[in-house]
Amino acid sequence: MAHKLTHADLEAYLDEALPVEAMAAIEAALRADAKLVQQLAAINGRRDAGVHSLGEIWRRHRLSCPAREQLGNYLLGVLDNDAAGFVKFHLEVSGCRTCLANLDDLKTRNTLSPDVVDGRRKKYFQSSAGHLSSRR
Amino acid sequence: MCPLAPSDQLLVTRIRNGEPEAWNELIARFEGRLLAFVEGRLGRRTAGEDVVQETFLGFLTSLPNFEDSRPLESYLFSIAAHKLTDHLRREGRRPTLPMAVGSSSSQWEPPDSARPVSSLMRSGERKHLEEDAMVAALADQIERLRGRGEWDKLACLELLFVRGWANRNVAAELGMTEQRVANFKFEFIARLRTLVKKQGLPEDVFPELHEE
Repeated sequence: MAHKLTHADLEAYLDEALPVEAMAAIEAALRADAKLVQQLAAINGRRDAGVHSLGEIWRRHRLSCPAREQLGNYLLGVLDNDAAGFVKFHLEVSGCRTCLANLDDLKTRNTLSPDVVDGRRKKYFQSSAGHLSSRR
Repeated sequence: MCPLAPSDQLLVTRIRNGEPEAWNELIARFEGRLLAFVEGRLGRRTAGEDVVQETFLGFLTSLPNFEDSRPLESYLFSIAAHKLTDHLRREGRRPTLPMAVGSSSSQWEPPDSARPVSSLMRSGERKHLEEDAMVAALADQIERLRGRGEWDKLACLELLFVRGWANRNVAAELGMTEQRVANFKFEFIARLRTLVKKQGLPEDVFPELHEE
């Protein structure tokens, strides 16, 4: 179902929390719509003023997100029907970006070459460990 | 609220103590999901890895500010989102907007980076307290729905509040009557409003609780 952009969508856009396609669609709209840019700036202004949004708090703290183990069980097809139905809804209708990332990672985890993964992890470690030792 | 899990708390303590093994463990546990998060937006593996690298650096430099009341994974995703936003701005894909206090990436910078203690920071502290109280209230209601297996109600509230959909769209998506959606919304808001009052939180900072 196609929906007009909501205030919550724009908040989620600012937090990089919408699904990738929705983020790209908003970026395309922003190039042509100065009003939309103003709307985003107004949201920033409300945040500066200390106004809370329930959706923002809910999303930031991932209050209804399934645990990663549940996502794994969902992939394995061992969740009960009702719980699996909610996970599917959360991913496909709500479009939770962090859960989609977790699901992606779980799907690809065993398909990647261990050498590639180890190389990546080593790179992250070597580029950051200096900051770690300085705290000792 | 979903506080830091004991195993994560131990891991963070070990990292604070400078244990390389603990740091390696955190990287191994989270890098795959963080890369999946940023890569979809960037479309390039190398750029994605750069952003994840910046995320881990950001985590280490912000460790003194990390609160144990916050789940580790959410915290890392927040840093990744900020680093990704910065990257996309540099590439010209995201417009530069007036920065808000809460959305500034300065909170991921080293604590000694000459950031003045200002009234903005004090108001930030107050905002945190308000947010923590609301998190506890929301989490309590969400857990209750989960416990009762009221998944349709939870889905309804998620679309209303997290996605901001109108009642009629939620009703159409979930195959409910608009009246039922309106009832769920009314009941949910009434409970939150009671809590806000009970905790003496300022009502004007939660405008959605007072919208008709």
